[in-house]
Amino acid sequence: MNHRTALIAMAAALCVACFESSQKPRDAADPSMRLASALPVLEAAAEGALTSETKQRLREQLSEWKRSAKSGTLLLREHGAGELVAGPTLATKVEIDISGPLARSRVSQRFHNPGDTWAEGIYVFPLPDDAAVDHMRIRTRTRVLEGQIQEKEEARKTYERAKSEGRHASLVAQERPNVFTTHIANIGPGSEITVEIEYQQSIRLDGGESSLRFPMVVGPRYVPGEPLSEGVGAPGGSGRGWARDTDRVPDASRVTPPVRRPRFGPINPVEITVDLAPGFEVDEITSPYHDIVIDEAGGVTRVRLAEGTVPADRDFVLRWTAAPGSEPDAALFGETLGDDHYALVMVVPPNEPNGLAEPPPREVVFVIDTSGSMAGASLDQAKSALVLALERLRPDDRFNVIEFNSETTVLFPVALHADTRNLRRAIDYVRGLESQGGTRILPAIRVALAHQHASRSFLRQVVFLTDGSVANEQELFEAIRRDLGESRLFTVGIGSAPNSHFMRKAAQFGRGSFSHIGKPEEVSEKMERLFRKLESVVLRDITIEIPGAEILEQYPARISDLYLGEPIVVALKLDDAFDRLTVAGRTGNTPWRIELDRDDVKERRGVHVQWARSKIAALMDARLGVHDERTLDELREETVDVALAHHLVSAYTSLVAVDVTPERRNYEALRSHALATNLPAGWDFGAVFGMAQTATNAGLRIAIGLLLIVSGCFIRMTREIE
Amino acid sequence: MMLRLLPLLLFVVGMSQFAIGAWIPAKAALAQVLLERAWQNTNKRGERVRPWPWADTWPVARITLPRLGASWIVLSGASGRTLAFGPGHTDGSALPGERGAAIVSGHRDTHFASLRALRVADEILVERTDGTQIRYRVDELRVVDSRSARLRDPGIGRSLLLVTCWPFDAVTSGGPLRFVASASAHDDRLAMNDSPR
Repeated sequence: MNHRTALIAMAAALCVACFESSQKPRDAADPSMRLASALPVLEAAAEGALTSETKQRLREQLSEWKRSAKSGTLLLREHGAGELVAGPTLATKVEIDISGPLARSRVSQRFHNPGDTWAEGIYVFPLPDDAAVDHMRIRTRTRVLEGQIQEKEEARKTYERAKSEGRHASLVAQERPNVFTTHIANIGPGSEITVEIEYQQSIRLDGGESSLRFPMVVGPRYVPGEPLSEGVGAPGGSGRGWARDTDRVPDASRVTPPVRRPRFGPINPVEITVDLAPGFEVDEITSPYHDIVIDEAGGVTRVRLAEGTVPADRDFVLRWTAAPGSEPDAALFGETLGDDHYALVMVVPPNEPNGLAEPPPREVVFVIDTSGSMAGASLDQAKSALVLALERLRPDDRFNVIEFNSETTVLFPVALHADTRNLRRAIDYVRGLESQGGTRILPAIRVALAHQHASRSFLRQVVFLTDGSVANEQELFEAIRRDLGESRLFTVGIGSAPNSHFMRKAAQFGRGSFSHIGKPEEVSEKMERLFRKLESVVLRDITIEIPGAEILEQYPARISDLYLGEPIVVALKLDDAFDRLTVAGRTGNTPWRIELDRDDVKERRGVHVQWARSKIAALMDARLGVHDERTLDELREETVDVALAHHLVSAYTSLVAVDVTPERRNYEALRSHALATNLPAGWDFGAVFGMAQTATNAGLRIAIGLLLIVSGCFIRMTREIE
Repeated sequence: MMLRLLPLLLFVVGMSQFAIGAWIPAKAALAQVLLERAWQNTNKRGERVRPWPWADTWPVARITLPRLGASWIVLSGASGRTLAFGPGHTDGSALPGERGAAIVSGHRDTHFASLRALRVADEILVERTDGTQIRYRVDELRVVDSRSARLRDPGIGRSLLLVTCWPFDAVTSGGPLRFVASASAHDDRLAMNDSPR
């Protein structure tokens, strides 16, 4: 082989190697492997026919590189051995009982203390965002202690007192509608305590498909704002999480549980059993993210996880559809407690195509989250969903694309017509998006909802693709509510553990609807359903009338517009039992009404819980946009009243259970542990907690450039000599 | 024929790579000159000044290393786009000169190249947007693995963490190691020594 060919081959190999390793640094699981694959190529290059000076430089670089790789692994070990004291471990068992449109669930958290000191466990975990938590009990080897509902601060004091006196105690508090904390005190060395939490929720019906979502992990969330100075010197602030409390998220440290590094393996196993009695003939049951086993016994369908247990690292979702002909169209439930009558109404509106002329052209603004939490699988799903949506636009529609992470970038200065050229540009842009940085949603929302006056003749829709991994939800809802104007906002929750509370409420304040995409195979089906909603006329002016009884309180008080396939769900409190009930509304200009009578009413327990939970949600919503201090206090008082009366955990009330006899003697120490959580499946630890990329490829480019120039000259010279 | 054109081809591709590579440090240096003006205005007006109309960042502080004769305008945010123009202040960390830990990242091969010569006990001057100046002293120099280490807030007074890629003269970018220089405010340290334990 002569010099020339060797040189060309070498230069090519070097370019390929360098390009590959600089392209996608996060792809490889272990960067040292990446390094290893590049080294032989470079070593070969160094031995080849180079000028002695370049050779020398390359050799120096190589040895430097090898040294750094070595010290890297040393550093790694040093930082990896952090967990010296073994904290309590956790195993969770979930039993869900679905009956008609309601589900009751029991979550048993079994804490085991493997250490030889007494332990307190603090576990931050998610529940469905509409969960009405109404029971909690402690189960020790010998006793069962039922939890009581108390005002939050009072409950905390009750717990702290029992804890310091060495008694068994547990506290379940709400941090967000979908984030809760269990405190469990005085777990003896080597012993076990179980905390049982019970809640009720409603089944989501959308487009003829029923579904239930059980979230398992609170994903790391972006916390904006300046750290509060009170936190200085007192690590953690008000909670035990990895984030510090800030002026914009004063409870950040309570919603950011420590995250276990994925390479140490998954923790927190979960076992799930679902008893399904939907009240109609089931056609198909699916669980998109977990393998399940289905047994039929005595009219009840039992669903279990095929693997027995799974790590708590992604949402469990169960979906079922009705056999043709047995689809539910209305359900009416009643419950009487003393003098109070409660009713729960669920009606599926007639699904008729509207007889209207063509709907007005639309202006669709797509907002895509490209923050670090979206890195990997989530971003791929969001991108393919967005490309589908772009391809679906009609030429007289207008559109724009907004990308946000720590910064907000708008593709076009103003929304443009969806012609082939603009769409081509947009699709290329979307395909090229990469993820990094924080989930700074607020500026993106502002930009998406700004300058609406220019699009008055258009139906303006904002489609938001995000995992909602933020801790400042309240601030965002306020912005949506204030700036919405005539736009409608639709959220698409992306990834394995999206913040469902954000998805639902942002869509509610945005007067749109929400959906979820959890894996690539779901993209086209879920987006198709969303497109049908975006393109169809809404159901408006929904009212409920009950002759013979007075509606004392109704939640939601004003029923929002409904999109294709969505049912009407209303909880009522009445002064008397009722015989007949009418639901009326309009689709476009076509009025419709549905009448239900006594025979349709089913008595059932738990209707009052549903009503109380809806009332609490309405009271919390009312806090937004209300700035009068006194009114906020009143709202708070009303929330506390309804939560105490119905035994519910809320933003202001917690469940607390305490034992009477001390277990731990006061000379024995108690050690407090914040339980770690898994990183949600498919997430990239480095992209979330990693540091900024602090090197450019300037040197590399200059080196490659020089190398190519030198080899060019070299070939030329050898040829002239020949 | 192919072999005749090869030297030319290598030469052209080489030149373009060289030009792109050379533009990066040139831009980094040029941006700091433009930023100097924005900084003067920030000081005068006491509000955010975007250095050029389409910029998505603004100066938040000026950091000077007197012994090394280096000085930079620090920008808000630590995204790739921002770091091309100057060292970037990480969102969510304390602002330089305020209580808590301020994290400032920079490219090891442009602005922060001079950190290689930094020593413990070196002085760092931080000028805030209101014009006040705070003296810091370097306490510790470390190399950490960004995949496993998290920058910890020492939790006492005002501290400053300067972060850049390590090793300083690695050929490719995107490596996992970081060089971290932590410094604390001079006044806070004095105050701590005085205060009763």
